[in-house]
Amino acid sequence: MELTQMKPGEKGLITDISKINPLIQNRLLDLGIKEGERICYKYALPFGGPCMLEACGQCIGIRRKEAKCIRVEKC
Amino acid sequence: MEIALFGNPNTGKTSLFNILTGSYEYVGNWNGVTVEKKVGTLKGQKAFLIDLPGIYTLNPLLRDEGIASEFLLNESFSSVLNIVDASQLERNLHLTIQLLEFGKPAVIGLNMVDVARARGIQIDEQALSEQLGVPVVSIIARTGKGCKQLAQELTTADTGITPLHIDYGEPVESAVEKLISIMPDAKDLNKRWLALQFLEGNQVVRSHLESCIHPEQLNHLYETLSDELKKQHQKKSIKHHLHAVRQQFISSILENTVTKTGVKGTTLTEKIDAIVTNKFLGIPIFLMLMFIVFNLTFNYLGTPLSDALDAFFSGPLTDWIGKGLTAIGATHFIRDVVLNGIVAGVGGVLVFVPQIFILFFFISLIEDSGYMARVAMVMDRIMESVGLNGKAFIPLIIGFGCNVPGIMATRTIEQPKERLLTTLLTPLMSCSARLSVYSLFVAAFFHKHQALIVLSLYVLGIIVALILAKVFSLFIKGEGSVFVIELPPYRVPQARTLLRSTWEKGKGFVRKAGTFIFGGTVAIWFLSYAGPGGFNVPIDKSFMAIICSYIAPLLAPLGFGTWQAAGALITGFLAKEVVVSTMNVLYFVPDGQSLTHIITGFFTPLQAYSFMVFILLYVPCLSTVAVIQKEAGSKKWTAFSIFYALAIAYILSLIIYQGGKLLGFH
Repeated sequence: MELTQMKPGEKGLITDISKINPLIQNRLLDLGIKEGERICYKYALPFGGPCMLEACGQCIGIRRKEAKCIRVEKC
Repeated sequence: MEIALFGNPNTGKTSLFNILTGSYEYVGNWNGVTVEKKVGTLKGQKAFLIDLPGIYTLNPLLRDEGIASEFLLNESFSSVLNIVDASQLERNLHLTIQLLEFGKPAVIGLNMVDVARARGIQIDEQALSEQLGVPVVSIIARTGKGCKQLAQELTTADTGITPLHIDYGEPVESAVEKLISIMPDAKDLNKRWLALQFLEGNQVVRSHLESCIHPEQLNHLYETLSDELKKQHQKKSIKHHLHAVRQQFISSILENTVTKTGVKGTTLTEKIDAIVTNKFLGIPIFLMLMFIVFNLTFNYLGTPLSDALDAFFSGPLTDWIGKGLTAIGATHFIRDVVLNGIVAGVGGVLVFVPQIFILFFFISLIEDSGYMARVAMVMDRIMESVGLNGKAFIPLIIGFGCNVPGIMATRTIEQPKERLLTTLLTPLMSCSARLSVYSLFVAAFFHKHQALIVLSLYVLGIIVALILAKVFSLFIKGEGSVFVIELPPYRVPQARTLLRSTWEKGKGFVRKAGTFIFGGTVAIWFLSYAGPGGFNVPIDKSFMAIICSYIAPLLAPLGFGTWQAAGALITGFLAKEVVVSTMNVLYFVPDGQSLTHIITGFFTPLQAYSFMVFILLYVPCLSTVAVIQKEAGSKKWTAFSIFYALAIAYILSLIIYQGGKLLGFH
């Protein structure tokens, strides 16, 4: 499922992150966020605003359309 | 001896730099505070410490990140100090490995051990040191704990060290060997490191290699490896592969050095974030906070202090100096220069010091607490709709203090187009120098609603910037906008850091009073004292009046077509504070009175507001123009930044004045 389909506060495992914008993918990799890592979808800001994720012990904000490109599996 | 300071963003490099060198550089709690390399002398030692922008990996994605790779390639230095965030050890060690592969002597400063401990992470520094083969010292840079020991370790560090060697497996290793075999001998650089960095995609290293190896040969090597890897592991890039191998190496180190005791429950940061980045409350909270800051600056705290200072300058101080000058038998000319020129002009600017320091204090508070990144997050949606991203809001906020560091801060924006746009628009942010003009006018004309009127100007600056961003982004070609931001944990700002940071920002204002404003005031006073008819002419027959009378008619439709206003605007290009000092000289304030009382005779409230809007927008000051030229790297854009601002200022002031008159204001 897409990351944004999870309920706020739910945790999942990243299964595919390769569809995301390459620049963001590189930055996420720098932060340690890649396939196989646990990720928590915290919440999204209104009017299609960015959403907040927690992974590898840090909080990160990315846009919703990018978050949609992250495929996850509930765990 | 030169020691280079490397580390991930926001791990406290500059805090440590300040402690070890006893100097003060800009610190804050977000990624990308330091965007240039800075050099300082290690306290009591014959060694230099070089502070570099934070990076996650040597392979740069951003302009400020390239500085670190360029430094490694081109500059000579004796050792590396790697600051590592203990609470994020795993991520931080990726950079450490790349630095150890480079092969210079290194010392690791394990910072924020207190934060790590609070999260239940215990690190055995002895074991870590053994595993990595370099000294490791635990420190808390914010309080200075362990820093002395670290300094000692630095100056006694080992000089002979073998570069770290990790086996990346086939086919990477044979590609590395092939590349090394065609590399010419370089004096200081480790060939294996160069090869690995190139294969990882480091553009800075690539252009370095292209100077001695044919680009096609390099491309061929890169593509072959890339294809082979793809065959072996599906969909994996070289960068991914190298990252994965390092990750394995790091995991094996961490197994023996880190113990995690499971603590959890919601942290304070999570609780605060639930409120300030709340779905509905995020933006209102931000605006509320700004409103409170403006009220403190203009109503409750700043204005009484400024008034007291003003009363002191125009009353007792002028008296004392006047008496002193009479006592030493100064000529009439000297008396005039000192009292009507210097005291009136420079003093007229210095009275705003309390307000400006209060504003700087709050900006420092926002910077140091970690709220900055949240504001960027909350604002992203709005910024996206005008073709920018939330991170562009950080330079804009810094621009409220001074536009120059604001424009420097644009370097952390990923896309060149968004960076250029932000550079062009930051001058529209109302800097503290413009605040002196507002303070003067609101005190004279809008006594009851000072904070509200000033806030309206700040908001106007932001709105104009957003609209122009939308317009400009239609014409500037570029990539789509991206946004990714790290939200650091909140920290309680330390009083010492806050005061220091406030003082460092405000210092520039006071210093300018002694240089630009002093010089400008004396020159203006002289131009208003001399005329075609000789010295001591009536002020409206002076050179100043004659020159400015040519421009004044152009400004008449905006409501301030007097030669004095024109003169103030021209000199304001030097520095915006000079506007007030020029007015003090040109409106000839008699002893014992302040400009605030005189000015009401020359402007109506509507004209005053129109004038303030013009001051807000009309042209970036000289130092800002210089930094735009440096950051945009183009004369065309620099000229554009001046002329579009003039045009917008003229149009808006015209609308406000003429529209206001139609609506019956005056």
